[in-house]
Amino acid sequence: MSYETDEEKVEAIKKWWKENGLSVIAGTVLGLGAISGWQAWMDYQQRVASEASSAFEQLLSSAPTEKFEVIVKQAAVLKDDFESTTYADLSGLVTAKALYQAGDVAAAIAALQTVIADAPDPAFASIAALRLARIQVAENQWDAAAATIAAHDHSPAFAGEFAAVRGDVAAGRGDVAAARAAYEQALAQHCGLAPLVRLKRDNLPPVRS
Amino acid sequence: MLQTIRTRTQGWVAWVIVALISIPFALWGIQSYLDVGGESIAATVNGIEISNRDLDQRVQEARMKLRERLGARDDLAAFNDQRLRTEVLNNLIQDLLLRDVTQQLGLRVSDQDVQLQVLSEPAFQKDGRFEREIYERTLQLQGLTPVQFEAQVRQQMTGTQLIRAIADSEFVTRAEFSQYQRLIQQQRELAYAEFHTANFANSTPPDDAAINAFYTANTARFQTPEQVKLDYILLDAGALTTQTVISDDELRQHYNANQARFGQPERRKISHLLLKVASDADEATANQVLTKLNALRARILAGEAFADLAKQFSDDSGSATQGGALGDVEKGVMVPAFEQAAFALPVGEVSAPVRTQFGYHLILVTAITPPVTKGFDEVREQLLTELRKQRSDAQFYELGERLANLVYESPDRLEPAAEALGLTVQKSDWLARSGGTGILSQPKVLAAAFSEEVLTEGRNSELIEPERDALQAVVVRVAEHRAADVKPLAEVRDEIIAAINAEKASAATEAAANAAAKQLREGADWATVLGNAKLETPGLVTRQADNVPAEVLKTAFTLPSPIEGAISVGTARLAQGDMAVVRLLRIQDGEITANADLKTTPEVSMLAQVLARQVYAEMLKDMERRADIERTAPQSDEQF
Repeated sequence: MSYETDEEKVEAIKKWWKENGLSVIAGTVLGLGAISGWQAWMDYQQRVASEASSAFEQLLSSAPTEKFEVIVKQAAVLKDDFESTTYADLSGLVTAKALYQAGDVAAAIAALQTVIADAPDPAFASIAALRLARIQVAENQWDAAAATIAAHDHSPAFAGEFAAVRGDVAAGRGDVAAARAAYEQALAQHCGLAPLVRLKRDNLPPVRS
Repeated sequence: MLQTIRTRTQGWVAWVIVALISIPFALWGIQSYLDVGGESIAATVNGIEISNRDLDQRVQEARMKLRERLGARDDLAAFNDQRLRTEVLNNLIQDLLLRDVTQQLGLRVSDQDVQLQVLSEPAFQKDGRFEREIYERTLQLQGLTPVQFEAQVRQQMTGTQLIRAIADSEFVTRAEFSQYQRLIQQQRELAYAEFHTANFANSTPPDDAAINAFYTANTARFQTPEQVKLDYILLDAGALTTQTVISDDELRQHYNANQARFGQPERRKISHLLLKVASDADEATANQVLTKLNALRARILAGEAFADLAKQFSDDSGSATQGGALGDVEKGVMVPAFEQAAFALPVGEVSAPVRTQFGYHLILVTAITPPVTKGFDEVREQLLTELRKQRSDAQFYELGERLANLVYESPDRLEPAAEALGLTVQKSDWLARSGGTGILSQPKVLAAAFSEEVLTEGRNSELIEPERDALQAVVVRVAEHRAADVKPLAEVRDEIIAAINAEKASAATEAAANAAAKQLREGADWATVLGNAKLETPGLVTRQADNVPAEVLKTAFTLPSPIEGAISVGTARLAQGDMAVVRLLRIQDGEITANADLKTTPEVSMLAQVLARQVYAEMLKDMERRADIERTAPQSDEQF
């Protein structure tokens, strides 16, 4: 389109504005609103995270000294107030430890299962599953432990750790050959507490032929 | 006219202009906008880039730290740069990853906690209290703003928070602790017998065929490395020093030239009275001031105190309050006109008015401290050492240059160079690549001696300075060379016989030990298998027992437990081909602390901590595995 004179051009612009002005303004307002809304949302998120973090720090620092009831209560409050944050899951791990140490095995197992179900990162689920399986071994729940391991032994990073627990399960069931193989695998993959795993392996009774 | 431009711009002219403008953009524009120009990337972690420049800087820092720890040693140069770089890169990737993961997970340490951390940092404290000034200055030195720094602190703290969450929540189960106690304090009852090679020595010497076979099978063992004998000229500034003869005259000259260093120059206590003359003042004004000053001078000469008048009239407010006193002054401090007058005056006499750029001065010298000089004899030794060092250094460089030229000009002999410079050609003994002593142990020298130019082509090496500041230089050439070789059979015959005998004896010992073990397993008792070996019965031993050889202990603690009448027997290899037959009789587990408090027992916490460390590392590994990490091919950080 070409215009012969400036007046015509002005006329065309005016016309265009009449047709589209409202939507332009609406669009701009909407856009600005979205930006400021997004910013407010981010600010809110940060504030929530900071508050959750403070609460979690408190939980961590009271965990070694306080009675388990206090820890569990603190963790429950944190969980209620900041349910959507990762801190809620992390506090689940802290609670499980406190509960187990206080002798409430069932509650500890439940806490770990919650962490596994809600874990925002698969690594947290693996770690929680590992702890769960170890408690199950300690309780002689061989089948439950084996099931936990089977369901969560996916990452090569934790394979050594799971192998060590699998060794414990096999040893508990009296399957010496499987236990030895599992311990060997755990050692080959640099599991934690390797010296203890080595002692366990060396202490296995002879395989009965 | 505007109209024509307007119509034109819609035509071809506009297109040409647009095209012209777009050329530079096409060539340079995009690149600079996207900022990928010279920035090469070492790795990306979930889309975050690590530039090679950043990496280089970190590597540099790591190297500096390494140097601080190891000192400036030669092997540092050999420290594998590529390995260091890879290590630094891995750490960087892990840092970035942790940062990214914590961000994704919405972990964030609160402002308060960050503040507390900064406030409690000892580097920002003075007398145990936070000082804002120190804080800001320290950051400035690092080129950081407080906001940037606090963001860094927050990241670091958030990372540690995740670590602590995982580590602090780790525990050890009751079953695990019990088993630990059972195993770690386990005792085992054992009996063992040592079988010594001496009892299985073979009296018949090996035949020639066996010796030959051993010789051909073990040539590597009888190899001598490639060796050279070197001729070399050593130029050593240290040796030149002692040869330098310096006459007394030269010493005196040196003494006179450096007298300033051997004492204190003359100093004078000076007072002055200044009447200012502005620098742009005309002659008449200056004269007025001069007249005024002369009047003051007359008053002093008439007996009034200089200090009083200076206090009253001097325009140099600093000294005026001190009665004009400027204190002790050396030469070279004051403006020339002032200095000249001041150092010519006798004590107590007021000078004539002196004109300087400041105005007119009256000067009074109140005291003179004469120059103090150390006598020539006092500093003679020092002078001698200094001069010698100077001379020998100069000589070293001069000779070095000439030597380099001479050995280059006659590349197949060292003698001409040695004769021309009055140096001697020294001869080394046989040297392998592993080096000799003194300067012949220097890697640079050895590299040159075994280089193609020197070794194969038989030429002189270049002038080599093995250490930068040692002021030593050397030229080498190969006088004799022998290739890597195998020692002749005759020379190593005895060695071979001994080796074969030892091998046979230890094989016989091992066979005997294995046979004994087998018999024991089949139910024989010790008496029938011992031969002339002696049975040891240490009884129950712990893992740390020191009355049993370590190898025997190790075998005893890895043997399967002798349950239900099973016989558990193994062998252990001792030093020098000796063997031991070990029988495990009984296992006694360590005692368990029933009802141990899992929260407060120190051993439990220790175990949990060790486990936690590993689990945490595995978590990082797992996150790394799932992250999108790309490493570009490593590049050298030295760009020439």
